Amino acid sequence: MRDQVLAALAHYGSPALFVTVLIAAIGVPLPVTLLLIVTGSLVAQGAMNLWWAIAIASVGQVAGDQTGYLLGRWGGKKLIARFGGMIGHADRIRQLDERAKNWGGAGVFFSRWLVTTLGPWINLASGAGGYSWLKFTLWDFLGETFGSALYIWLGVVFSDRVEEVGAILGDLTWAIMGVLAAAILGWKLFYRHPRAISTT
Amino acid sequence: MGLWSALSRYRTPLLILAFCLAIASTFFFGYRAGRTARHVRWQNEPIQPWMSVPFVAHVHHTHSEVLFQAIHVPPNPRDRRSIREIARAQKVPASQLIRQLQDALTAQSGKAP
Repeated sequence: MRDQVLAALAHYGSPALFVTVLIAAIGVPLPVTLLLIVTGSLVAQGAMNLWWAIAIASVGQVAGDQTGYLLGRWGGKKLIARFGGMIGHADRIRQLDERAKNWGGAGVFFSRWLVTTLGPWINLASGAGGYSWLKFTLWDFLGETFGSALYIWLGVVFSDRVEEVGAILGDLTWAIMGVLAAAILGWKLFYRHPRAISTT
Repeated sequence: MGLWSALSRYRTPLLILAFCLAIASTFFFGYRAGRTARHVRWQNEPIQPWMSVPFVAHVHHTHSEVLFQAIHVPPNPRDRRSIREIARAQKVPASQLIRQLQDALTAQSGKAP
């Protein structure tokens, strides 16, 4: 799949870029970071225009994110009503909703370009949690434009090293996810429930 | 009984396990990123079947005409078909074209001053 997507980008350019980032933003696991870096390389080769590429990538991703948000908004409530009991009582679901609203802006912005694996889930959660559509769209647009510009620019600079740069960024994303997870879990273990540790 | 209440019985051991996994994955991926970054400086990017001939030429800092000739395709910088697509058209495996391109690149680097 990865090779087909990259070959389509190298052959067809902007239309392939738009379709791929849109599908990936909905939740299909495709190598978007590598795709944007290869786009940057194509820009450096003169096969694509820099500003056009950034615009296409941003608009495609925002369109996919909006689809995810709307799916969450329309389908999410029904799913929670049906399977909500599995994750806890009404209090717990309300608590999760509140947390999503409080962290919404930062969560949406950083999941667009820093911890991209969380992006599609945050879209669904934002829709299901009733996070404001206007705020979601604003942070989404800012995050996607920043992310697209950043990765395409990296592709322009390292246009002859796309695979390696893609691999490094992929690993760094997972390392950052690990740091975030460790910070949250550590906070839960050592500050929120310190007694639980001492009795284990 | 909900899934959440079933999990809460083993909450602390699960949290400790997840915490250790998170720390381990941070070190693993951080180390791998560092190792790849060190290799970037001196290693040439390998030719992949998804790359087009002009793309390979750009990555290896050479002219696409030489590479097109190496795989018996009329030189055309606008030909952005992938190596796999060209291989399919020529009814040969992509690995064969990659080897021919690699040989052409080696010959080119031998000619360079």
